[in-house]
Amino acid sequence: MPGYTIGIDVGGTFTDVVGICTDGTQTLAKAASTPADQSEGVVQGLRNLADALHLTLAELLQQATRIVHGTTVATNALLERKGARIGLLATEGHRDVIEMREGLKPERYDLRLPAPEPLVPRRLRIGVKERLRPDGSVEQALDAASLRSAIAALRAAGVEGVAIGFLHSWAAPRHEHAAAEAVAAAMPDAFVTCSADVLPQIKEFERFSTTAVNAYVGPVVSRYLGRLKARLAEAGYRGPLFVILSHGGVAPVEEAARLAVGTALSGPAGGVAAAVESALQGMGQDLVTFDMGGTSTDIALVTGGEAALGRGRTVGGERIALESLDITTLGAGGGSVAFVGPGGTLQVGPRSAGAVPGPAAYGLGGTEPTVTDANLVLGYLDPENFLGGARRLDLDAARRAVAGLAERLGIAPDACAAGIHALVNARMADGVRLATVRRGVDPRDFTLLAFGGAAGLHATAVARELGLRRAAVPVFAAGLSAWGMLHTDLRYELSRSAVTAGGLPGDTALRALFDGLEAEGRDRMAEWHGGAVAARRSADMRYGEQVFEIAVPLDGIDWQGPALADQVRAAFHARHRALFTYDLPEEEVVLVNARVAAVGVLPRHVPAAGAEAAAAAPAGQRRILLEGGAATAPVFRFGALAPGQAVIGPAIVESATTTVLLRPGDAARMDSRGWLDIAVPAAG
Amino acid sequence: MATHASAAATHPAPHPATRPAPDPVTLAVLDNRLRAIVEEMGEAMLRTSYSQILNSSRDFSIALCDAGCRLVAQADHIPVHVGAMPWAAKAVAEAFAGDIRPGDCFLLNDPYHGGSHLPDLTIILPVFGDGSLRFWSVVRAHQSDIGGATHGGYNPGATEIWQEGLRIPPIRLGEGGALREDLIRMLATNTRIARDFRGDLMAMIGAARLGEQRLLPLLARYGADALDAAVSAILDLSEAHARRILATWLDGSWLGEAFLDDDGFGQTDVAIRARVTKRGDSLTVDLSESDPQTTGFVNSSYPNMRSAVAMAFAFLLDPEVAKNDGAFRPLEVIAREGTVVWAREGAPVTMCTSHCANEIVEAIVRALQHGCPDRAMGGWGRRFRVAITGQDARRPGRRFVWHMFHARPGGGGSARGDGWSCAGEWHSAGGLKFGSVEMAEARFPLLFETHEFLPGSAGDGQHRGGLGGQLCLRIESDGPCRANTAGDGARHGAAGMLGGRDGAPHHYRLRHADGTERVLKTKEVGIPVQPGDRLVVEAGGGGGWGPPEKRTPEARARDAAEGYA
Repeated sequence: MPGYTIGIDVGGTFTDVVGICTDGTQTLAKAASTPADQSEGVVQGLRNLADALHLTLAELLQQATRIVHGTTVATNALLERKGARIGLLATEGHRDVIEMREGLKPERYDLRLPAPEPLVPRRLRIGVKERLRPDGSVEQALDAASLRSAIAALRAAGVEGVAIGFLHSWAAPRHEHAAAEAVAAAMPDAFVTCSADVLPQIKEFERFSTTAVNAYVGPVVSRYLGRLKARLAEAGYRGPLFVILSHGGVAPVEEAARLAVGTALSGPAGGVAAAVESALQGMGQDLVTFDMGGTSTDIALVTGGEAALGRGRTVGGERIALESLDITTLGAGGGSVAFVGPGGTLQVGPRSAGAVPGPAAYGLGGTEPTVTDANLVLGYLDPENFLGGARRLDLDAARRAVAGLAERLGIAPDACAAGIHALVNARMADGVRLATVRRGVDPRDFTLLAFGGAAGLHATAVARELGLRRAAVPVFAAGLSAWGMLHTDLRYELSRSAVTAGGLPGDTALRALFDGLEAEGRDRMAEWHGGAVAARRSADMRYGEQVFEIAVPLDGIDWQGPALADQVRAAFHARHRALFTYDLPEEEVVLVNARVAAVGVLPRHVPAAGAEAAAAAPAGQRRILLEGGAATAPVFRFGALAPGQAVIGPAIVESATTTVLLRPGDAARMDSRGWLDIAVPAAG
Repeated sequence: MATHASAAATHPAPHPATRPAPDPVTLAVLDNRLRAIVEEMGEAMLRTSYSQILNSSRDFSIALCDAGCRLVAQADHIPVHVGAMPWAAKAVAEAFAGDIRPGDCFLLNDPYHGGSHLPDLTIILPVFGDGSLRFWSVVRAHQSDIGGATHGGYNPGATEIWQEGLRIPPIRLGEGGALREDLIRMLATNTRIARDFRGDLMAMIGAARLGEQRLLPLLARYGADALDAAVSAILDLSEAHARRILATWLDGSWLGEAFLDDDGFGQTDVAIRARVTKRGDSLTVDLSESDPQTTGFVNSSYPNMRSAVAMAFAFLLDPEVAKNDGAFRPLEVIAREGTVVWAREGAPVTMCTSHCANEIVEAIVRALQHGCPDRAMGGWGRRFRVAITGQDARRPGRRFVWHMFHARPGGGGSARGDGWSCAGEWHSAGGLKFGSVEMAEARFPLLFETHEFLPGSAGDGQHRGGLGGQLCLRIESDGPCRANTAGDGARHGAAGMLGGRDGAPHHYRLRHADGTERVLKTKEVGIPVQPGDRLVVEAGGGGGWGPPEKRTPEARARDAAEGYA
């Protein structure tokens, strides 16, 4: 009997479900997303997948060995401010940390910008008499009476969740843990979370903010995952249910509920996991992901086959300092509106027509031109075959919308449509440049991996603009996140601060610090699965008076060898040189956080090579408008292309869920996995 | 005699329109591209700068100017640098007229030759296209030290600029793409932290070169003349944008005043007076009635005064108005040399990027509060620095220097709501981060007993100001320390607008172990501090907006329940 692994990605409009069979065949199914309770759409998607495989839902689930889920429940709760009512226990004298936001305010020139409401109102942030020092020693013991009255106040306020954030709990969690026990005893139903458990790292704002977010989304995520688990069990599923987390690895559903804040980037994480997998499968070690959807585009970098991680993430204005994939989001997608901005120039986005009314071409009342309307007017999209024919596009409505804007600009409608297309490409290229300069890399040797429904029409233009020579569009472009989830491993991130007034800890302390973290990680992983476990060590380090730490991989260190601290120091100098062009060998080196990632390797199904077939002929042809003028382009069905078949631009390759535009000079080849591998000429 | 420093008189005349403006799509693409370039340069700067002051507080600015030194694009970093960079480019263009070649690299910091104040170094690179100068790539960054009598450049005792640090008029730091190592060594030798100086200087040059690298392909692809035409069109659009907004304000002429506490040499309540006249879509700011220049370092240099006026204007426009030469064209500035806003060469000016820049902004906003009431915001707080230096028993033999960025003042209320608490001052407007308390305790002999909002510090109003912070800091040094202060705002709180009340002024004191206290002045050096002393800071709140009696009962009830009032 074949077995299946199933990836489920819940997006704003569609829930994508990908099933990979032990024989290597891959199947994509879709269902409408159900925002009120995402688990309904998930089960419907599974049903649609079962249909496509000619199985009943129960049969499919009995044959399923693993389900991996990407959810936007936490993200939406934050963005829509629909999380739990929560309280915060703080060190007395320090209860405003999360509202002070380190003195920072966004939008440098908008002095009238209203301040955001803190996740925990001030009256529910209550000081408790206790105080630790940075070495973990007790300055003031935890005062039981003060703790009791604080808990009584939170109970009276009816909070569902309690975050506990005491100063220096990164050095010693005992005060926080004692307070958590007292809260649990007094409020048994409350979701209780300690900053030392969420992120045991020095820097109180990052730790407390992350912990407050965890309390805020925790009850919502727990309830959702509980419902989903119950529905799947009811439908006959007995295997493990994993959730993909912001760092791109997966964890059991219980862990995702405990550390709910870690699911804030669960949605886009699958796409990056897919990019890492495609690097393994020969797409090159350095990739830029280009995930263009309806309202926004996510950009992430894979360098040396690994996804870049960062800790500077903000979601819904709230700081989340967990290790997360370093994803840059641009406010431009297929639904972005083109208009004459207040400054008098043509602008595209960030305003979006959304799903309703959507682009003018949807015929749902939209009158402003969007990127999709421009692409339709230019002939890049087939009005009869959008979303596999599920939606007819109204070409006349798109033309009218574009013509209205063209008149305001004093140019011809076709020029206006081409202008919208060109401007959005230019903005995407700027976004990629910014993301790469932030990481200190030159993108020109990178491959652009384009996915998401709208990316295929823009990919090779963006690549040209950036001087990239290669772009790739997978056959599952619109469901790549769900596919990617099935190609990533269990991952548990551990960190511990080790800041001292002096420099690095000594050899013995350093070894004990990392060994302790790794042992904890291996124990945790053993609870999660029985397979192989790998551990990766790294550290956040800086020179004495610098403010920012850099992440230093410690893969090459001989941990049992002599002069351990010197080895670690040397690794830091080398990394600093690689990132910033210089190092300072005489300067004091500070290790701020020790990190271990425990990775439980999950089995993968090797994709089946496409069957030998004769090259497919074009299914038709279309008149399209390109920069150099009008052209007649052959139109190919994506799924019909034979492995190895070459397609030379100008041409269009389309499937039910995505359309790829090949410009003159682009040379695409269908690879054995059904991905379109495109050689892009240098910009002329 | 008032010097009439209008936009038309001080900016070079625009190029004659030799060719028609490019089509609107090309214009939009180039406008995006130019803005993206300055943003990218800023990211490069942030990534590569060495000193804490740069990579933590982002106290740097990036701009592109055209061949005529018109501001083309500026990244949103520190507002007090807005509009300041063309003066630096102009100073270089004048000093090296006829002698500027590809591969040159220029440097300056002198406030009397295109700079703002001595700690701000500026790198200016010429960018050539079709054989002639087309752009200037400009990077300005605040150095952690610039020599002079006191560490860090802020010397409240200075009575002349030579006591404030090293003056660098426009110099050629490099040519043919190579740098003058001997010059750099000379400059670095004159600063206390040569390593920071070099690291930051290299980061600045790298960022400026990145600007050049990005402009060259644009020049090649579109042609230098076409790019010039596009720049002119972009500036014209920005001018029209600013004028459209200005036209919605009431016409009139108003006087706004703001007062510095003192100059550190006994002169108190130094007045900055802005006579602001709005007619149609133009605005005139006349600062010539301001008090004469002072003995101490609160005087402004001319470029800093101009950028303070531009900053006030930018704050009152919509945030999306481009920060370029076009947007500032509706603005005419009149000032008199020898006043506190425009000191004669030789006077000390180091404090000016915060004070009196902030007071210039406040006087202008005050003058305009009735002309554009929905835009005028309550005053933002003033900067009051404290630095403590001494020994830490945990690190014997190593002197520590701790700069206080905590207990920030509040922002002002506005038509759109209450002010931001602890978001700081006009000149940084929420761009200056205070460090982690935990990290400070781990690295310095300090214990932060309290660091919270200070209830009641905000100016009351229909929309109140943001709260200032309160700090109680125990000093646990090994032996006595010394503290220096530099700042303002212990007499004058942030101004209320349209009937809103002023925020509370700052109140800083040193509380000794025996309970006696010493009130700290805003401009002091060498304050003795004993282990066990507590620094007790009560920072001022932001100014209120609108009459307090119009504050809703719900808002008052909320202030009471949350403990804000």
